[in-house]
Amino acid sequence: MEEKVLSIINEIRAAKEMAPVESIKTDTKLREDLNLTSFDLAELTVKIEDEFDIDIFEDGLVNTVGEIIAKLQA
Amino acid sequence: MVFLSDKEKEFTYDDLLRSLNEGTVYYPYYKTSNVYSYFVNLIKAIAASKPLVLLDSDINPSEIDDIDDSKVNVAERITPTSFQCMNEVVAAVQNSKSEITIFTSGTTGQPKKVVHSIATLTRSVRVGDRYKGQIWAYAYNPTHMAGLQVFFQAFENQNTLVNVFNQPREYVYQQICEKRITHISATPTFYRLLLPFEQAYESVVRATLGGEKSDQHLYDSIMKIFPNAKINNVYASTEAGSLFAAKGDCFQIPESIKEKFKVVDDELLIHKSLLGSSDSFKFSDGYYHSGDLIEWVDETLGLFRFKSRKNELINVGGYKVNPGEVEVAIQDIEGVRQAMVYGKANSILGNVLCADVVLEPGITLTELDIKKVLNLQLQDFKVPRRIKFVEEISLTRTGKMKRV
Repeated sequence: MEEKVLSIINEIRAAKEMAPVESIKTDTKLREDLNLTSFDLAELTVKIEDEFDIDIFEDGLVNTVGEIIAKLQA
Repeated sequence: MVFLSDKEKEFTYDDLLRSLNEGTVYYPYYKTSNVYSYFVNLIKAIAASKPLVLLDSDINPSEIDDIDDSKVNVAERITPTSFQCMNEVVAAVQNSKSEITIFTSGTTGQPKKVVHSIATLTRSVRVGDRYKGQIWAYAYNPTHMAGLQVFFQAFENQNTLVNVFNQPREYVYQQICEKRITHISATPTFYRLLLPFEQAYESVVRATLGGEKSDQHLYDSIMKIFPNAKINNVYASTEAGSLFAAKGDCFQIPESIKEKFKVVDDELLIHKSLLGSSDSFKFSDGYYHSGDLIEWVDETLGLFRFKSRKNELINVGGYKVNPGEVEVAIQDIEGVRQAMVYGKANSILGNVLCADVVLEPGITLTELDIKKVLNLQLQDFKVPRRIKFVEEISLTRTGKMKRV
């Protein structure tokens, strides 16, 4: 699951000409550490929804990778 | 002369004359998938100045509010006719007092009912010797405005119609060859299905596009496939019929009806005297809001270009995106046959911009490849965030793209 999330994040970064990140940790911050804008986060939600059928932002903001994983495991 | 060629069947104008003269009934609410029977009923009703409601062959009448299910395919008596030749039939059609009810295709929402006179339906029909002998690819739904326009143009000149509506690419090409088709009038979506270029078809001298926005890339491809064809655009709406003359990729408001148009906030407003009648029309000061957004190329000459449909703009994080503009950019990419851009509801931005893309056979392109090209041409908010590769894009009843 983490791998899939990582590959989606790298897909988004690639389109912005940003180097891929090699690993993510639960406390990795989506905006600050990964430089994702709200447009990128929207893309992330759509792609995670395609993959896992869960809208991670449905009930409020998600700030870290750990929070995404928690939503997916819930 | 052949009137209609439909699959394996051919009907001549003599067959048509015979069908019109026999029988003493017509169907005011006729639902059929047989195109010949549909046209016989249509001409019968119009020649006798009887009212007619045009129903799609695949529609469930309960989908439409105003239609009483029990009236569908119920015959009504009509005074028998004995037309001696087709010229008499054409004259009867031209002088008809029929009221024809059609429905919008409803790219969104409930179909709207619009009642037209024969005069508004045939406003742009040209009759004369120079129109004789044309062979038309019939590429529209016969119960809707564009299909009626092509029908009247061909019929009043006693031309041949070759039915290719909703048919696959190979069949369309085979018919163009076999029937020596000279004229095609269709949606840009129809022409895109004919891509990529493989072979030139020389018999076609006119290719008309209408109903949706088209682009230079498509014109270039059509010119390759039909090297002898003049390409032009038409603007015909269910509400108003055909109104403008095409000038290249622009349209011109004819001098004679110039006073009947206004442009407010880029939207084209049409005076009610040019429209059919419908309960669903709302007027402000006698003008109808067409929902078409235009830009003037030369206002004094009445020359303008279409930008988009008003209700098609997608709100992405507060930015308004014209899906047509993004589709054109994607379709300009080598190897792309067709693209459809739409918004997907999203908790962060309101909508996320998405695209479905059909590639030409044998082409490999990734989502990233397309995004990289678009990033160079479009502002960030106009670049779709999810691009899916699909086999085909679903179409509405009239052969336009159906937005999700």
